[in-house]
Amino acid sequence: MESRILQLISALRASGVRVSLAESAEAFSAVDLMGIQDRESFRLSLRATLIKDVKDLPTFDKLFPLFFGSGTPPMMGGNPSDDLTPEEIQMLAEALRQFTENLRQRMERLMNGEPLTKSELEALAQLVGLNQADNLNYQNWMAQRMMRAMAFPEVQKAMHELMEQLQQMGMSRERIEQIREMIRQNMQGMQEQINQFAGQRIAENMSERPRGDNIDNLMNRPFQALSDADKKILQREVKRLAAALRTRIALRQKRMKSGQMDPKATIRANLKYHGVPMEIRHKDRIKKPKIVVICDISTSMRFCSELMLSFLFALQGQVRKTHAFAFIDHLESISEDFSGSNADEAIQSVLSRMPSGHYNTDLGWSFNDFNKEYMDTLNSGTTLLVVGDGRNNYNDPRLDIFSTMTRRATRTIWLNPEPDYMWHGDSDMKKYAPLCNNVLKVSNLRELANAVDELLTG
Amino acid sequence: MTTVFDSTKTVKTELSKQRYIASDEIATIVYLAQKLGKPLLAEGPAGVGKTELAKAIASATGRELIRLQCYEGLDESKALYEWEYSKQLLYTQLLRDKLNDALGKAESLSEAADKLAKEEDVFFSTRFLLQRPLLKAILSEQPSVLLIDEIDRADAEFEAFLLEVLSDFQVSVPELGTLVAKHKPFVILTSNNTRELSEALKRRCLYLFIDYPTLQEELAVVHLKVPDLNPKLAQQAVEFVQRLRKADMRKSPSISETLDWANALVALNASQLDKDVLEDTLSVLLKHEADLQKAKRQILNPQQPKQRPPTDEFGRFSGN
Repeated sequence: MESRILQLISALRASGVRVSLAESAEAFSAVDLMGIQDRESFRLSLRATLIKDVKDLPTFDKLFPLFFGSGTPPMMGGNPSDDLTPEEIQMLAEALRQFTENLRQRMERLMNGEPLTKSELEALAQLVGLNQADNLNYQNWMAQRMMRAMAFPEVQKAMHELMEQLQQMGMSRERIEQIREMIRQNMQGMQEQINQFAGQRIAENMSERPRGDNIDNLMNRPFQALSDADKKILQREVKRLAAALRTRIALRQKRMKSGQMDPKATIRANLKYHGVPMEIRHKDRIKKPKIVVICDISTSMRFCSELMLSFLFALQGQVRKTHAFAFIDHLESISEDFSGSNADEAIQSVLSRMPSGHYNTDLGWSFNDFNKEYMDTLNSGTTLLVVGDGRNNYNDPRLDIFSTMTRRATRTIWLNPEPDYMWHGDSDMKKYAPLCNNVLKVSNLRELANAVDELLTG
Repeated sequence: MTTVFDSTKTVKTELSKQRYIASDEIATIVYLAQKLGKPLLAEGPAGVGKTELAKAIASATGRELIRLQCYEGLDESKALYEWEYSKQLLYTQLLRDKLNDALGKAESLSEAADKLAKEEDVFFSTRFLLQRPLLKAILSEQPSVLLIDEIDRADAEFEAFLLEVLSDFQVSVPELGTLVAKHKPFVILTSNNTRELSEALKRRCLYLFIDYPTLQEELAVVHLKVPDLNPKLAQQAVEFVQRLRKADMRKSPSISETLDWANALVALNASQLDKDVLEDTLSVLLKHEADLQKAKRQILNPQQPKQRPPTDEFGRFSGN
């Protein structure tokens, strides 16, 4: 039982759920306490200790039955030959004779409702390469391949023929229906058995081969060359980055003082002067960081916009006063989309709402939109962050508006995935760059991390 | 007197005595949290009874409920303790004569200083310590239930600070030394999931996700809390609410809103859910103007020229 729980835990880890050592120890003490007699409370004690996020609940619900299934093979429909008359059995045997030996064996087996044995399942697994699979997405596919290896489709077809044959031989219609129904159930049972086996085996494989996610390696890989799985890992890294950003902003701003007097602190500080206020104490101004982010999600930026959006999402989770905007040919506020707690959903909703077109990026127009509706989000204390490649399709860059924006904001930082020697053609980057406090090249996560550092120390 | 739950069943029955209907899931996890002495992190949409759960546990166990409501900018002096300066000052002023007496007999300055040093504990004793919820829970003579409500509203720094308190149940006050809890409080944290909590905090807690109740569960809650509502109407009302939750609303109605609505229906003496009743009371259920308009458009648009087909999912409530 213990090793089974450990397997479940490593399968959870392999599917991207973070389970710490403390949590797995906790799971064991919870199980000790609740016992394993009652399956439901066993499940709940594991779930409450291992899963700490709503998003991970479905993963757990999927994996748990694979490791702690009921153990018994699924219900078979029963044996149709049980209540047949001798003539009918005779008829059935005759009808079966037309099929090849191999097929006949399988059909008889189905009709008798015998589940597959462990070694048969193993052999099938070997045949289709189930032991190499370590992703639950392949469960159905693997099960299908196993069934095909068992000649399931042929058997199914043969069964059909058999029924017709029986009908011709004069068996009563309802009897045939009855046999057909039982066979159908048996088939379903076998299918379920195979599916369950495939799922279990894949889950076990997952637990044996936990993915080593090599962050260092990923950090240096350009955004274009990332797979979906890598992006997941990076999203986590990005979240860490955003948290670092926030703490440092907060630290720097807490040290600032303003002019307002703090009576309590003053009285306390002046106790030593007999209550005569010699030293005036001031209130710490708790200044909350404010960020306005404008992100380009046009075609030229698509390869990294997902990651950038997840960076924005994490940022918004960390810094409450974040206004996020996205643009292609016009500007839209996306703060509303980011108000939930699921990053993937939020990003998908933005990307589907603003589909990329063909050469339609218009930075100038987007700045114009910003000028009309959102200029008031920029004030002293705001950091303006622009994420984009500055490729403007020869539209008016509207430098006048952009310079107003940079004047209103305390700092302006531009993150560009392209290095400066590529700023030609339709790129207006050379015109925007002098107006920014800082232009940073960000084409992989390492550079994004450095940019965040720069953002805070500079 | 404080009682302890000794099985999942007891949790269930005790909570139901407090008029809280706990599902198996809730009961099991509450029991686990109590047995393991771990904080319980309850997450879920607003108004599904997370805070109510803490209250029910407190009264079921006969413990005092100490509540810390979190908000942005909450800091240690609001959550843990604060020195009561004005009281200290006042005491100093009033005790001046007494001090003179004590110090007057001193022959040298250093003797006076020594004497004063002996008395300084007076001014930094728990007498002048203003206890905030966390300290109160730690110092409480009786075991208590500590409810840290809406932790997701507090800043990340506060979360980090909370970690220390939650793992050791002790607090160090520089002037007094370390204060250790006499009884470990039963800690319940709630979160509306508006932002992700830190891994470190989650790791220390047992996790309970409370979702909107099923039809039967919600019906049971309505029966329990609003017994005056006639069963048929209750059934209709709950079905209606459940349907609203499936529709895409800015804010789905919560259980507490269902209960408010049920109470409103009783107060209005409604006998069935017809158009007028719905129009009058819908604002109890839906708090966003946009939602209201949407629901009204969908459900009770009487001027609509086209008659809605009877198969419409809201058809049953469309009045005549």
